[in-house]
Amino acid sequence: MPALLLVAAGLASYAGFACLALAMARHWTEASGQVMDVAPHRRSLPPLGFSTLGVSYALCVYRDGPSFGTLLWVLLCYATAIAVALTLTWQPRFLLPAVWRVRL
Amino acid sequence: MERTFAKSMAWLHTWAGVVLGSLLFAIFWMGALSVFDREIDRWMMPKTRLASRPDVSLDQLARAVHSAVPAQASYWRVDLPTDRVPVLRFSYRDSGGKVIARQLDPATYEFIPDQGTAAGTGFIFPFHYSLHLKWKDLGKWFVGLAAMTMLVLLVSGVVTHKKIFAQFFTFRPRKGLQRCSLDLHSLAGVIGLPFHFAVTLSGLIIFITFYFPQAHWGAYGSGKEAKAAYTTEAQGRFTRPKANTPGTLASLGAMASQAEREWAGGKPYFVRVWHPGDANSYVELRRSYARDITMNLDQIYFDAASGEVLHRFEAAAVMKVQRFVSGLHFIQFDHWTLRWLYFLAGLSGCLMIATGFLVWLEARRVQHAKKGLAGVRVVEGLTVGSVTGIIIATLAFFAGNRLLPPGTGFAGQERSALEIWTFYLVWVACFIHAWWRPAAAWREQAWTICVIALACVLLNSVTTGDHLIRTVPSRMWAVAGMDAMLLVLTLLAARVAIRLGRKVHRAVQSGPVSIVTEVRS
Repeated sequence: MPALLLVAAGLASYAGFACLALAMARHWTEASGQVMDVAPHRRSLPPLGFSTLGVSYALCVYRDGPSFGTLLWVLLCYATAIAVALTLTWQPRFLLPAVWRVRL
Repeated sequence: MERTFAKSMAWLHTWAGVVLGSLLFAIFWMGALSVFDREIDRWMMPKTRLASRPDVSLDQLARAVHSAVPAQASYWRVDLPTDRVPVLRFSYRDSGGKVIARQLDPATYEFIPDQGTAAGTGFIFPFHYSLHLKWKDLGKWFVGLAAMTMLVLLVSGVVTHKKIFAQFFTFRPRKGLQRCSLDLHSLAGVIGLPFHFAVTLSGLIIFITFYFPQAHWGAYGSGKEAKAAYTTEAQGRFTRPKANTPGTLASLGAMASQAEREWAGGKPYFVRVWHPGDANSYVELRRSYARDITMNLDQIYFDAASGEVLHRFEAAAVMKVQRFVSGLHFIQFDHWTLRWLYFLAGLSGCLMIATGFLVWLEARRVQHAKKGLAGVRVVEGLTVGSVTGIIIATLAFFAGNRLLPPGTGFAGQERSALEIWTFYLVWVACFIHAWWRPAAAWREQAWTICVIALACVLLNSVTTGDHLIRTVPSRMWAVAGMDAMLLVLTLLAARVAIRLGRKVHRAVQSGPVSIVTEVRS
């Protein structure tokens, strides 16, 4: 169970940063091949990203309590934000489906 | 200084970084390794690779160490085994004030032969905060200076980095070395800002009584007595003089059970017997902080003969805050996920510093070559020596540990000192190599890392019989993890070296063309 919660928290913070990255015109174009203006969901991406990060935080605190949970979340955010940046570099097309999966 | 605020911050960031970058890299590298200092200890002290951790009987322990404590010792102490340290660590302070430490197997209560190494906790961890420069505490002052500079660099870096939000999540490895280094530098710097800031500031706060003694001088005054009063009130301390008549020692196990009741299940992590054998002897028990970020200072003192409680201590609120902040930095709690994340974050700090150097170099390379300035050449040698050089030196330290036979001595130096000499001599050699062969230094040092890292894994297997095929199924995670990381380093270094080799090959092929174009222009 703790391992599952950790994976869930990691995935949530990855998805959260993916949303925030896709909300940026340049990264949206890299990931979708489209211009930002025509994207139907662009306005919902930042709130979606922040709330997914919130879910990640909640999972961390549920798993480890407030002090360890907060620390875990901060470091998970670091690792996953870097992971999103590297995904954008090498597999930008991967990000879009990753976000849709979380939306469903 | 420059005219505008942003420009002067950029100037500050550039030059503070170049001047103190090497020192910062060394501190970050040793800090990242210190996250796993106990695991490095297991790797470097093969006789302490004990699998199980049986319940320790303190009374049996007291009998076992009794004969090893000299008559005039002011105390003896035993640190109990933990998940990361499966041995009993016994130490005493002799009449001259010198602390002598040995290790025991908790299953048999027998002494483990001296492993002849300072290892992770004795060399790598103290290097991180003191650089092993003991003269006038110079090392600590350098580290303090570097930490203050780091804070300045973080703030000035944010100001300098104009497109901080526009370039979030951006890394373009194909756009040339300078662009790619700058991307990595800001990526690690900006996203890691909370970590780097917290870890640097907490590092300074740990040494608050060293760096900022004015804080307690203000309340207690300065001088020896004031310092003792401060220590007693802030960190807790109980003393009483010797009676100089023989005394007895009651059951330590009973004292430990009483302490556990008082601490609501909290376990002691060390037991210390002051004035052993004296009628005024007393026993100190400290509470473990393996389950909490805050490194509590809870302690209970017992009368050695009767086992009655003499004194209890628990830190006050302000001190608890300091111990919480210290705990964030020391990571003495049991949390493997966090431990690995700290390790990765520390290494990303190394990456940030190294790429910062590359940005400086690439921005000036052409210009300096044209003007005939030596700046790039000097700083490049400095960079190679402090980045790949310290990695090679650390690996040489590990390899030396496996190569030197037990009990070796040379020119009056003990085995553990010889290992440390290996580290420093190899490091110096790396700097010399970097200045001597600037064009090939990166590639040759990358190959050196690759070879020594692999050699360390092989040497460990040959000299101790432990290798991944054996250590993973038998759950010897400390040794397995160390070997696995060495193999990862081998592969990474080989990849880097091969890519650098290709680049040299291409540069040689296109060399005459670029010379021609330069002549034409």
